[in-house]
Amino acid sequence: MFPRPGRDVGFPIAGCALLFAVFLAGGLIFESFQGRAAERLVTVMLIDAIIVLGIQIYVGNTGVLSFGHIGFGAIAGYAFAVFAISPEEKRKRIGDAPFGLDEVLLNPALAVAVAIGVTVVVALVVGIGLARSGAESGAVAATVITLALLFVTHEVARNWPDLTGGNRAGLTFKVGAALDNRLPIYLCLLGALIVARLFAQSRSGKLAVAAREDNLAARAMGVNPLVQQTAALLISVVVVSVGSSLRVYENGSILPDDFFFDYTLLTLAMLIVGGRNSVTGALVGVAVMTAGRELARRLGRDGFEVFGLGLDAGPLDWIFRENLQTVFLGLAMLGFMIFRSDGLLGDWELDGWLWRLWHRRKPEERPEPLPEVAPVGLHAEVAHQGATLDVHELVVDFGGFRALDGAGLTVAPDEVVGLIGPNGAGKTTLVNVITGVVAPAAGWFKVGERELTGAPSHDIARAGLVRTFQNLRLFDALTVRQNVELASSVAAQHRPGPHPPVDALIAEAGLWDVRDRRARELDYGSARRLELARAAAMAPAYLLLDEPTSGMSDAESGEMIRTVRHMAAAVDAGVLVIDHDLNFITGISDRIYVLDQGQVISAGTPDEVQADPAVRAAYLGAESDTRRPG
Amino acid sequence: MTELAQNLIDGLGRGSIYALLALGVAVVFGVMHLLNFAHGELITVGGYVALWTLGAGWSWYIVTPLIVVSAVLTSLAIERVAFSRVRGSSDFTLLLTSFGVHFVISAIFLLYVSASVKPFDRPSWVTNTYSAGPLNIEVYDTVVIAVTVLTLIGTTMLLQRTMFGLSLRAAAADFDTARLMGVRSDTVIRGAFALSGLLAGIAGVFWLMRAGSISPSAGITPMLKGVLAALIGGLGSLRGAVIGGLVLGLAEVLLRSRLPDSVASLTEGVVFLLIALLFIFRPQGLVTVRHAERV
Repeated sequence: MFPRPGRDVGFPIAGCALLFAVFLAGGLIFESFQGRAAERLVTVMLIDAIIVLGIQIYVGNTGVLSFGHIGFGAIAGYAFAVFAISPEEKRKRIGDAPFGLDEVLLNPALAVAVAIGVTVVVALVVGIGLARSGAESGAVAATVITLALLFVTHEVARNWPDLTGGNRAGLTFKVGAALDNRLPIYLCLLGALIVARLFAQSRSGKLAVAAREDNLAARAMGVNPLVQQTAALLISVVVVSVGSSLRVYENGSILPDDFFFDYTLLTLAMLIVGGRNSVTGALVGVAVMTAGRELARRLGRDGFEVFGLGLDAGPLDWIFRENLQTVFLGLAMLGFMIFRSDGLLGDWELDGWLWRLWHRRKPEERPEPLPEVAPVGLHAEVAHQGATLDVHELVVDFGGFRALDGAGLTVAPDEVVGLIGPNGAGKTTLVNVITGVVAPAAGWFKVGERELTGAPSHDIARAGLVRTFQNLRLFDALTVRQNVELASSVAAQHRPGPHPPVDALIAEAGLWDVRDRRARELDYGSARRLELARAAAMAPAYLLLDEPTSGMSDAESGEMIRTVRHMAAAVDAGVLVIDHDLNFITGISDRIYVLDQGQVISAGTPDEVQADPAVRAAYLGAESDTRRPG
Repeated sequence: MTELAQNLIDGLGRGSIYALLALGVAVVFGVMHLLNFAHGELITVGGYVALWTLGAGWSWYIVTPLIVVSAVLTSLAIERVAFSRVRGSSDFTLLLTSFGVHFVISAIFLLYVSASVKPFDRPSWVTNTYSAGPLNIEVYDTVVIAVTVLTLIGTTMLLQRTMFGLSLRAAAADFDTARLMGVRSDTVIRGAFALSGLLAGIAGVFWLMRAGSISPSAGITPMLKGVLAALIGGLGSLRGAVIGGLVLGLAEVLLRSRLPDSVASLTEGVVFLLIALLFIFRPQGLVTVRHAERV
């Protein structure tokens, strides 16, 4: 179960300290060669690193592209400046600041706290809009909202001179009052690194990553992505606020254009070049882009003189021009997106690598497989009430097509029930309805006394209806074990009673030897079994399996029957399994419902159903009809 | 009442341009699921074409088609060089690719022309007005609205009556199925970019006539308006994009004339705030598009 103290806390902190040391050493060595000229460059790089790490916390873990973080930075920067600049200086620029703000003065640390507070309040409001539109219209809509935020803050900063000093003057610290030593920057950078790494390893971070990898599957595992994304947003905004305050403090002034498009481009380019999904990557990106940009700037200014070659640039004059660094940033971003969109490092982390090195020497013991019978008490309180899954006369229309037309069924707590029917009969639609993916036009479904019709997917999963998908939806970037652990941790929070041990589930699914592989590396059969183990880890009352054997050979199907039955018994779950493979369904089910054109046309034991002439007609008659959607 | 009518006409003039921009954004989004942040650069390129040709003494009657053609060619070139390489990638990659294209193009003008704002002559009639009863109507607004209506009719005919239009709408509804039905993805995507460039070119002519100047970052504002309008209308809906553009234009004009003077300079900020509220209460935009995901 995570977080584990060693893997998820100790190693990351040690890794961050090492990263910080290497990053800083690189900067200081460069400085010692280049002298005072490079001092400012290194200071700026350190501050950029804090802001980029802040952006990484949100963008990396949620996968939502945000242009708005520099907008948050602007809010924090102005808040910091207004509170930290002395009243004498402010009177020159913003003598009639609203709310008497021209008279306040806080010490810089307190001013940072105020900046964080103000920005977090704004982020909460924006976060709600982001989460809602993101859920409705996808990540693209969320991105446009962040872009709008960037423009709003810029517009307000330009057009509210009473508070911000406007477009030309801005706000300025008294000469000599700005930040003059690097200690606060060092501390904040180390802190930002640790916060970013610990968040990624935290439960919340892992759930956000699950939603990033597959939003629908995450919700089906009881994860509410909005909560995790909002958590990531708030933490990331805190880090960005600190970095932005430092940026203003070090710079000694703030203007609207300091936190606008150009800085957004720079920070995003740093993030994606290094690898947005990795904290190590973000830091590498900052270093690489700072160096590259400086080189481009000098090349643009001096041509080959930069290298002390004394050559006239000659044929390259048309490239070595002022502002070359802007072209460099744009091209770097474009090039990485086209040829290597996961950046230099992908999701490689220094501490993860150290952990694997360390761990290779100590193999783990193979765990006991699952017991044949569920441990007494698993779902005791639910089972004794006889919490039947009761689906009643569902109706679903897709445009003019009636996918479900009054279909209903019941599953008892210890039963394995099959649902079969030709393609387009409405099987998957039925599962989609009872997992909250599709809203029914009429009808209801309950588990025990609890009506779940219309509830969101994650609530239904937490209530104990847990599904697998026809087209395999795993969290590809996570390891086999993390996939199962994640479901288990959701269960620990939201499902009553004891829970099946993670390692035993992995062993039961035959995945022990590949437990630390990423899910995307698995072969097809293993991936199917992992999806089953992940669902079982939710300690479900009912497992809903959507074509668990599609694409499998007969031998593999036979093995799947055993695994499903065993796992369901071990976690004490009823099973509703969909398939159109008659052999598989009759082999696994206690009872079978037959669906055709949205209606149940037959129900009973496998023998009864197979003997039903209506079934034979519908099933054999329609099976060759592949044009209808499934 | 008169003031309201006046506002409506001004708003429609402004909104028409936004509608053309938004429609161009929506057409590309439909076939590629790409929100094109480089859409404004089509106008930037057109602006420099205008700068050079007008500077050489050519008249607006010749420059106008040149702007449109340059926008179409730029759109096709961007598709060929950048977007064709990231087809089918994640939203994240697509968005940042277009963002990168935006920056590369504006940086090239920064590098080879100048960072400063360069003025050029506007057509003499742009500031003329005529009165209709109590109203003072700009010739410019009249032309914009008329041309937009004609363009929208033409676009509708293209989408409804031609094989290309049918393929494009089919691809927008469900790209994979459209391909299975024999729609050639290359043709549809390039066609969509050409159409998007054409719409941006027409909008760009008016934008530039009004602005009378060009700078490397001039494309940002029209891009933002187009993208926001498309989002207001409901991403993926062509009709929604047009509605979104008109709504955005009307909202800006109405707010600017109704807000008290002290906040009038913050109109843009207020508009963004209203948009944010819209998304909190109606996250799918004005026109709902069903994004059915198969599971």
